Amino acid sequence: MHEFSVTSQIVEAVLKEAKKHDAKKVVEVHLDIGKLTFLGLEQVRFSYEVLVKGTIMEGSKLYIKEKDGIVKCNGCGYEGDVKYEDDPIYHVPTPTLHCPKCGETVEIVGGRECTIRDVKLLIDKDGKTNAN
Amino acid sequence: MKQLLKEALQSRVISQVKDVVKAEEGEIFDIELDVDILEANRKLATENKELLKKNGVKAIDVMGAIGSGKTSLIEKLVQHLKGKYRMAAFKGDLTTTIDAELIARHGVAVVPINTGKECHLDANLVKKALKRINLKDMDLLFIENVGNLICPAEFPLGSDKRIVVVSVTEGPYMVVKHPFIFMDADVVVINKIDLAQAMEVDVNKLENDAKAINPKAKVVATNCRSGEGIPSVIKALQL
Repeated sequence: MHEFSVTSQIVEAVLKEAKKHDAKKVVEVHLDIGKLTFLGLEQVRFSYEVLVKGTIMEGSKLYIKEKDGIVKCNGCGYEGDVKYEDDPIYHVPTPTLHCPKCGETVEIVGGRECTIRDVKLLIDKDGKTNAN
Repeated sequence: MKQLLKEALQSRVISQVKDVVKAEEGEIFDIELDVDILEANRKLATENKELLKKNGVKAIDVMGAIGSGKTSLIEKLVQHLKGKYRMAAFKGDLTTTIDAELIARHGVAVVPINTGKECHLDANLVKKALKRINLKDMDLLFIENVGNLICPAEFPLGSDKRIVVVSVTEGPYMVVKHPFIFMDADVVVINKIDLAQAMEVDVNKLENDAKAINPKAKVVATNCRSGEGIPSVIKALQL
């Protein structure tokens, strides 16, 4: 949900960074999106195309890496993949908070991020290059 | 001859200049950012939590379906806990202060938060509301979220506990249709049980649906109008 407002924040953050480096164009944007955020990737892509129009991000390639949800078991110490509900009434794999190993309750420790990993910027050689 | 040579040299220089410009048009730099967009709200939520803890205030975030009984639940909890805690409430709604006034008539300070078009409360709005109350004068804060079983899940507010309220009048499928919000619930309230028979809704099934997603959640059946189940909610919240 809220893909549009989240993507808007992504575009804003990238434009801010591009301005810092005096970039001419943004060539690529690499995102990590956790499976336990409830962001629809298609909607993120669609919002992205809409939001970059008329900016130096127009034409840039958006790469999204889906990160698995990670849970930690308070009972047996298991740390790893989420157990998904396999009831056919759910059309999307629905995460549950049961430990896949021992069935006890788990805590979510990963998979809730929406991170701009890195961006590729086209920078004028004569411009300020503050690359870090 | 001299003229021809001059012209030839000139054209060569021009084409050379063109090539040089092309080669130096720009370079591609890979910049690492590592910026988590969702972290901003989580960070504010943590700040809210720390502020509340510093002042010894327990905060309960009440989420739930539209019309499920969130306000009624808070009203009943306030009535039951009057002698025990000094309480206040935040009431999130797109507009109007109707629910805020309902809670306020029980003698607690209420800060209405009108979100405008936003369909959920976020940590930033709660941070602003926290400035409007004297935290030193209270022990317990109820934060009633906007009626919505989808969006509030993504936005922690900094509360100690999260309640999700559903009622039998929404039919038998509300839990399975909205699994994500139940993942974050400490307590699940199934309200309006007095109408379960008329609605042909099996309260036990709703309870099992919630536990299948989140075995940690304590599920309590209530009738917030009569007050049935309220002591169990208080116990589940460890109040």
